[in-house]
Amino acid sequence: MTGPKLSLNLSEGLLEKMKINAPFVEKVLAAFIKEELSKFNYKRGIIGLSGGLDSTVCAFLAAKALGARNVIGLILPYGKAFSDDVKDAQEVARLLRIKSKVIDISPIVDAYFSRYPTENRISKGNKMARERMAILYDFSVREKALILGTSNKTELLLGYGTIHGDMACAINPLGDLFKTQIKQLAKHLGVPEKIQKKVPTAGLWPGQTDEKEIGLSYNEVDRILFELVDKRMSRKEIIASGLKAEAVDKILQLIKNSEFKRKLPPIPKISARTVGHDFLFPYDWGK
Amino acid sequence: MKVGLAQISPHLGDVEKNFDLHLQYIKKAKKKKIDLLIFPELSLTGYTLKDLVEEVALSAEGNPYFDQLKAASHELCLVFGFVEEKERGLFYNSAAFLSRGKILHIHRKVFLPTHGMFEEGKFFAQGRNFHTFSTPYGKTGMMICRDFLHYGASYLLFASGSEIIIVISAAPGRGVSNNENYETSRMWELMGEAISRFSTAFLIYCNRVGFEDGKHFAGGSFIYNPMGELVAKASYLDQGLLIREIDLNDIREARKKWVYKRDDRPEIILESLRRIVREDED
Repeated sequence: MTGPKLSLNLSEGLLEKMKINAPFVEKVLAAFIKEELSKFNYKRGIIGLSGGLDSTVCAFLAAKALGARNVIGLILPYGKAFSDDVKDAQEVARLLRIKSKVIDISPIVDAYFSRYPTENRISKGNKMARERMAILYDFSVREKALILGTSNKTELLLGYGTIHGDMACAINPLGDLFKTQIKQLAKHLGVPEKIQKKVPTAGLWPGQTDEKEIGLSYNEVDRILFELVDKRMSRKEIIASGLKAEAVDKILQLIKNSEFKRKLPPIPKISARTVGHDFLFPYDWGK
Repeated sequence: MKVGLAQISPHLGDVEKNFDLHLQYIKKAKKKKIDLLIFPELSLTGYTLKDLVEEVALSAEGNPYFDQLKAASHELCLVFGFVEEKERGLFYNSAAFLSRGKILHIHRKVFLPTHGMFEEGKFFAQGRNFHTFSTPYGKTGMMICRDFLHYGASYLLFASGSEIIIVISAAPGRGVSNNENYETSRMWELMGEAISRFSTAFLIYCNRVGFEDGKHFAGGSFIYNPMGELVAKASYLDQGLLIREIDLNDIREARKKWVYKRDDRPEIILESLRRIVREDED
């Protein structure tokens, strides 16, 4: 998946346009977390803490919305592979005074791969993401806590996440914020500088970084996504505005190829009324 | 005259609970001696109904909820939103104005947003009229949410003599930026300021708060006086009852100074519209 580095001439103007009023967004997202949990009769939220920016921001918002004693952070490393990140995640939990627990997923993952070995590191990464999901859902029941997702808008649009893995959650508070906007929110929330400055990684294998894998910086990716999605500009218009066709096409391809991660699977409609087609009820039905 | 804006967060698809919520606010309003209490769009049902529309629909006649709300309207005028089954199987997004035990008017939403995140046209029948009607406090007109963004609708209320224009809304906020709040909050306020000023009428806008399926209803209910001045504004996030005393004499003062109403020429507008509609035919 590693691609060539496509350099772009970025106008600072657009990143300026993407700026958010962080105090306002904080209030809206905290209100969302609080209201969604109460709709489903939950008091507590549970988050998979990776030590990275998104899950840290989510934990900060959850602590604000629900109170620290109602937030649980699960830290789910694969052996010693990311020991610095584990320390950072523990530091976040200490800082926020939320309950946290470290569970090493390596025995579960290794048990499977010793039987069905593979050299495909994406397969391994996906398996780890899904084991984390399974543990989060189990602890959701044990702790009577709803799972707060940590996928951001950039990842959702690029499909940069494991379906039924890190993308699985009950509510997704950060899903409409680009990575660059989350950085801005993190600064406002007082997230530790060390975490603010971390190079984003999906943590599929040591040394992996999102930007290396995508072949573009997050600033570049977000600029293209912002123009394509938020501003509804066409491919032609974006290229005419000075962005490289190769980069725009790459992003468009990633969006198209990952639509299946943003939808429920299609059902062949043969009856008069069908789930997913014309059996249309709100998510918040009766809440 | 004392106006109350009940900026509530209705329970989606639960008329019973919402009815109780209305009674709570009516009780509070009576204590505060409010003359006109306004609830948001679809306040009895919630907004994102989809296939629940038929389950929560009410007829305005011979309905126990309506009968109780009518009874409550002896002490204060009430405006609220509901799904109306006007004829069997025809469902409207409606607003009722109740006073002294009677329904003075029901407005049925004309402009049903059906694009992007909105799908009202899939589930509701379209209203066909904008009326000005008499109330104990003067000639009044009502609109529901998107109606207000089609300024021709406001003109019809102005032309038919509305002195008080009431807009009930379930407007989701969208567009965050570096600004104080959503891009769309500014949009409603801009329209409120313009329409109140150029209609020389009170403009009362009651929006809701809360989340439905991730949509965030952005509150910010407001009142503009007939000079186009903001006289009350509610929070963008929180539920609550906003109370403001307004002076109906302001309408007279505004219309003495700004003669838009005196000089209006609806017959010219009508003739021009007839021509435009004729020429626009395929």
